[in-house]
Amino acid sequence: MELQRARTGTDVPPGWDYNPADWSQRIPIIGVALLGCAIAVYLALFQYGIVADVWEPFFGDGTRRILDSPLSHVLPVSDAALGAFAYLLDAATGAIGGRARWRTMPWMVLLFGVLVGPLGAVSVALVIAQPVAYDAWCTLCLASAAVSIVMIGPSMDEVLASLQHLKRNRGRFWRAFWGKSA
Amino acid sequence: MTAALVSAAVGLWLMAAPAVLGYGGASADSDRVVGPLVATFAIAAASQSTRSVRWVNLLPGAWLILSPAWLGGPWTAAVNSVLSGIAVVALSTVRGRLSYRMGGGWGILFK
Repeated sequence: MELQRARTGTDVPPGWDYNPADWSQRIPIIGVALLGCAIAVYLALFQYGIVADVWEPFFGDGTRRILDSPLSHVLPVSDAALGAFAYLLDAATGAIGGRARWRTMPWMVLLFGVLVGPLGAVSVALVIAQPVAYDAWCTLCLASAAVSIVMIGPSMDEVLASLQHLKRNRGRFWRAFWGKSA
Repeated sequence: MTAALVSAAVGLWLMAAPAVLGYGGASADSDRVVGPLVATFAIAAASQSTRSVRWVNLLPGAWLILSPAWLGGPWTAAVNSVLSGIAVVALSTVRGRLSYRMGGGWGILFK
C-alpha cells in the first residue's frame, strides 16, 4: 500500500526513491490511527455503561456478548479502553517529528514501529477469540482490528530507513539514535 | 500486492466459511484461528517494504492442507481447507512488482 510517492530533496534517505517520513506518507497512517481510536472509545463507552446501546448491524447480540465477556475485562481497564490508548499512542508517535525524522529522531520512529506491532497482534488475538471462545462476532471490534492491521505495513518503511541510518552511523550509535547532530 | 490482497481475501473467507458452509467442531475452530492469521500476514505483506512477510503464510498454508487428515469433520470442511491452503501457499510465493528502491531493504542491516 504505497500511499504516494514523496520526493523531497535531501530528506530522501540514501538509496531511496522517496522519503518515508514525508507528511504525505504519515498523515494517512495518523488518520487511520485516530479512526481506530474513535471506534475503541465508542466501544469503551459502552463497556463502562456511559452509552446504553451499541451499534451492531450484522451479528445480533454478538457485540454485547463480546464486549461484556470476561476476556474483555481481564485487565483493570477494559480491552477497548486499552485499545483507545494504544491507538492514541500510535497517532502521537506517528505525528511527532519533522519530515526528516528517520534521521533526526530515530528513537521516535522506532518507538512508533514498536508500538504499532503489539496493537496489531493483540487485535488479531481478540478477533480469533470472538468466534472460538464466545461463538460471537462484533462488527466494530472487527473494524478496529482491521484498522490496526492495515497500519502495520505502511509504518515499516520509515522504521527501515531509521535502522539503515543507525547502521551507517553504528560508530556513534547512541548519538545517531537520539538524533544528535546528523 | 494483488497476490497479497487475494491471500487476505482467502483469510477472510476462512473466517466466514464455517457459517457459510455449515460446519462446526475442530474444523471450524481451525479455520477461525488460521483465517485471521493469514489475512493479517497478507495485509502486512501488501506494503512493498514488508513484502517478505508473505513467506510467513507458508506455515498456516501448510496447516490448512495437512490438518484435515487428523481434524476429521465433514468433507466440505476438509476440501475447503485443502483448497484454501493450496491457494495461500501458492500466493505467498508471488513477490509481485517492487517499484521503489529502499536503500537495499532489510537485508543490508545484517551485512
